[in-house]
Amino acid sequence: MAEQLGAEPIAPGVLLIERRLGARLRHGRVLLKPEVAEGARVPPSLIELAWREPSPDSAPSRLLFLDTETSGLAGGTGTWAFLTGILIGAPDTLILRQYLLTSLDAESAYLDAVGGELSAPATLVSYNGRAFDAPLLTTRFRLCGQPDPLGQLWHLDLLAPVRRAFGRVWPDCRLMSAESKLLGFAREDDLPGSAAPAAWLGWIQRGEMAALGGVLRHNRWDLLSLAGLIPVLGEAFEDPGCHGADTHAVARHHWAQGRLGQALSLLEADSSRLTDTGLMDLADLYRRQDRWADCCAIWQRLASQGSQDALSALAKYHEHKRHDLPLALEYAEALAPSAEREHRCQRLRRKLQG
Amino acid sequence: MTTSPAPVNADAPPVLRLEARLAAKYRGRIAATHSAPACSAQWRDFPTDFPPQLAQALHERGMERLYSHQRAAWDLARAGRHLVVATPTASGKTLCYNLPVLESVLTRGRKALYLFPTKALAQDQVAELMELSRALSAAGGAGIKAFTFDGDTPGDARKAVRTRGDIVVSNPDMLHQAILPHHTKWAQFFEGLAYVVVDELHSYRGVFGSHVANVFRRLKRICRFYGVEPTFIFASATIANPAELAERLCGEPVEAIQESGAPQGARHLLLWNPPVINPDLGIRASARSQTTRIARMAAKVGLKAIVFARSRLMVEVITKYLKDVFDHDPRRPARVLAYRGGYLPSERRRGEQAMRAGKVNLVVATSALELGVDIGALDVAILNGYPGTVAATMQRLGRAGRRLRPSLGVLVATSDPLDQFLVRHPEMLFGASPEHARIHPDQLLILLEHVRCAAFELPFRDGDAFGGEDLGEMLGYLRDEGVLQHQGDRWYWVADSYPANAVSLRSVAEGNFVVIDTTEGAQTIIAEVDYSSAPGTIYAGAIYMVQSQPYQVERLDWTGRKAFVTRTRADYYTDAIDYTRLKILDRFEGAVLGRGVAANGEVHLVRRYPGYKKIRYYSHDNIGYGNIDLPDQEMHTTSVWWQAEPSALEAALPDRQQAIEGFLGAAYALHHVAALRSMAELHDLGRAVGDGQGTWFAVVGGDGRGQMRGPGNDAMDPAEQDRFEPTLFLYDNYPGGVGLSAPLFDAAGQLVGDARDLVVGCSCAAGCPACVGPVLPGDEERALTPRQAALAVLELLLCREG
Repeated sequence: MAEQLGAEPIAPGVLLIERRLGARLRHGRVLLKPEVAEGARVPPSLIELAWREPSPDSAPSRLLFLDTETSGLAGGTGTWAFLTGILIGAPDTLILRQYLLTSLDAESAYLDAVGGELSAPATLVSYNGRAFDAPLLTTRFRLCGQPDPLGQLWHLDLLAPVRRAFGRVWPDCRLMSAESKLLGFAREDDLPGSAAPAAWLGWIQRGEMAALGGVLRHNRWDLLSLAGLIPVLGEAFEDPGCHGADTHAVARHHWAQGRLGQALSLLEADSSRLTDTGLMDLADLYRRQDRWADCCAIWQRLASQGSQDALSALAKYHEHKRHDLPLALEYAEALAPSAEREHRCQRLRRKLQG
Repeated sequence: MTTSPAPVNADAPPVLRLEARLAAKYRGRIAATHSAPACSAQWRDFPTDFPPQLAQALHERGMERLYSHQRAAWDLARAGRHLVVATPTASGKTLCYNLPVLESVLTRGRKALYLFPTKALAQDQVAELMELSRALSAAGGAGIKAFTFDGDTPGDARKAVRTRGDIVVSNPDMLHQAILPHHTKWAQFFEGLAYVVVDELHSYRGVFGSHVANVFRRLKRICRFYGVEPTFIFASATIANPAELAERLCGEPVEAIQESGAPQGARHLLLWNPPVINPDLGIRASARSQTTRIARMAAKVGLKAIVFARSRLMVEVITKYLKDVFDHDPRRPARVLAYRGGYLPSERRRGEQAMRAGKVNLVVATSALELGVDIGALDVAILNGYPGTVAATMQRLGRAGRRLRPSLGVLVATSDPLDQFLVRHPEMLFGASPEHARIHPDQLLILLEHVRCAAFELPFRDGDAFGGEDLGEMLGYLRDEGVLQHQGDRWYWVADSYPANAVSLRSVAEGNFVVIDTTEGAQTIIAEVDYSSAPGTIYAGAIYMVQSQPYQVERLDWTGRKAFVTRTRADYYTDAIDYTRLKILDRFEGAVLGRGVAANGEVHLVRRYPGYKKIRYYSHDNIGYGNIDLPDQEMHTTSVWWQAEPSALEAALPDRQQAIEGFLGAAYALHHVAALRSMAELHDLGRAVGDGQGTWFAVVGGDGRGQMRGPGNDAMDPAEQDRFEPTLFLYDNYPGGVGLSAPLFDAAGQLVGDARDLVVGCSCAAGCPACVGPVLPGDEERALTPRQAALAVLELLLCREG
């Protein structure tokens, strides 16, 4: 079996498949260089979206790309993580290691080997691993009575930035969609992830190993795509337009991190395609920089289309900033009937009379 | 047993004045009275090892001492013994478990799991714990964190519950489906687990109890994995065998505390038999009319009363009648409230709040309120019909008189044989020997489901045990099924599935139905109906009632589990007709009894709902029929059956038509005495008469006579059959059976004797609903009355000594 899969038995019931990927590996349109696994190169926007327990302040250390294949998708203690794939950097090359459990009673040795890879300091990089792979591995370590190494690691789950930047523009955010759109990588003859449980159970129950090669290859492609996505996602957060990302969502991320200038310039550059809420955000950013003329231009445009938020903003602006009460009342009266409208109009009328 | 009531003066408590009025006005209807005097409290000091902040917190709530049973519970729990507290409603059972649990949390940082059979009870309990926690914090100590964990707990809150909860309050279904299969996520909780508290123990009976006993076997395996052995504390309403039931549930010896030290107000109980209105037919006025009359009298003198009805339909009918009296002005808040299973949780919560706030005068409820949902103090409890067990009767009566005031309970007998039997033997009720609650955790189907779940949670090892059956054999079966693999000395789970999702603790059937109101184009879910009651309640054409507002079912989507209804003003309600066909699959054992045989075995059962009756309110006239078009309901279960020697039967009852009627009457009587003797509720057992091959079965037809029907429900002539071997079945009304039929077989001879005594002792002329079932006008003039025919059958099956 080891021979057929190009693997090395490292303990009874545990196979290791190791590949050195060389200095320049092409994956779709991107080149995977060993530096891709350096923590220092992770774009700041991605770090901001990572999970940083238990050391929120330290810098990300070396990256450890992680992807598991499991005996089922339902979760729970009866689900096995039978294949753990890991991609790490070494001088001049990337190393891809896959640990395959081929016998049920060998799980302890299998987890020993996997646990050896997961040593701190390291930053896990996964796709939906926060919700799936990591808790499942934790469960397996606990069931085997071994300490859980995952709790000590940073975890950067790329699903979070992909959702943030593309959730509203793509039909789904699966890894296959991300790699085809962002990396130009198309899998040929892939064994879908949903077929992995049957492939492994076929081996365990009936000794059929025909489908296992497909599972290994699927897992390798997942890992390479993870590595390829890091720089591209970084670009998407710097220049959303170039990858078709959701400019408004990306700008909001920068804004939330206190980078108002970057948020503003992204929105400004894309203003012709922004939705009303995007434009309101842009106006709000102008307001914070006292760029009132730009701000009012947006509000007026939106108000002329009946935007209640814009009308209300203009009423406030003219009341409190310009002290032009008649104009403020005009805007307030244009609001649709509501408690806010009544309140505002009454107050303005009172001020006008007084 | 009957005593004349003491004279009551004008400034006596209103409850006593109501009782005196009832006794003066309806003396002839009161078959028996019973009263329990008020009793005073038995106090004990706080134990010496009581944490000071706990004593302080209790002191803040005005407590300086404990009731004797609370102290006894403390002492046992601290000694690490499993215990069950079975004291009456409102005796302060909650503190029996809260005190030792709080001690373990406060002084040792341990954790506790509380299980309640329903979500509503769990939420009540967390509110109570929060209050205690506030008192503890106020007393200068740390508070405690108690969280509910149920299907409504949002995903992002679950982690906090798992890692930060000192006390997690949940239900057995969540333990089964969410906690045990994910036990590694709860590792921290399990490692600290000191107590498992199980309240409402008496509700863990039958199928549900049998499932839960297996969930506890799984729980104990997981606890061993994390190196803990938690102490179980059970709390129960009065049943005969609390310790035995608790031991069956947790699989270890359990000490019982049954002496309550709590004070109690005087309790008065009236056994009420409606007057006979047709002496020839033995027909009495309906229990419903008597119940509403007593409830009206109670409400009119300002007393708060609860009415318990035996079915959801009866709850709605009685609610409507009472609302017609008290709630005819829609601008005023409702004084009458219905409370039953099937309402949406939010509606039930609203009802509970209205009851606690004292806004409601009359509550009409099913057993949904039998459990300890806190609804505040009530004065009068009226039971429309005997609930089927002494334990349930006491639990329902216990709803009245929670605050040391005198209380009144009225049990209104229906014309069912069980009720009439009780009226004639009140010592059955007052003698206070409540029933045994029974479970059958090793029922093979149930056990196997939980072996499957347990194997998913942790691999079994060779030599492990789980339940009373051969575990190795079951594991081998699961291996052959492809879900387990044996390697080394272990059995590993190797399937892509999550077995707990396929196992429901409450029944063996799948999926609740939702009732959707589509009036005026809306799509509002107004109720839920469980799978087994769906075919009999929400068929197309049915009138379905919610808070006595009638809705008509327009369409039933059987596969989608939805019923679409619209509001209606119909002046009738509907009642489904069902019939049952049985086929004997396997005979386990048999015995000759008199001129017949009794046997016990496995049967295949098909239940069909061919149609329904429309019944007008108030007059209760049958005003029409409708068809029901639904798939047959099928199940395998166990049954006991009786057959008479064909030659002896022919000699005793030469007319086969009469033989069929005799068997139907005998089945009616046997069903009731069997329910009484096996301490099951009537619906836990089913009865049927057929030939055992499924070729024909017998029903009481629309004309009130017994009829022979073929498999397609077509009429057959008994005289034309070659073989004529009527068989009387009493079957276990749960798929797979829950162990009711084997004891019935062991007592088969005695049951026939009891049934004969019931029929012989009845005071009717030709048969009546209290012995062999309703009869028709003129039956008393027939040469052989239905009662005689039934007696003839019972005599054949009677084993005579010597």
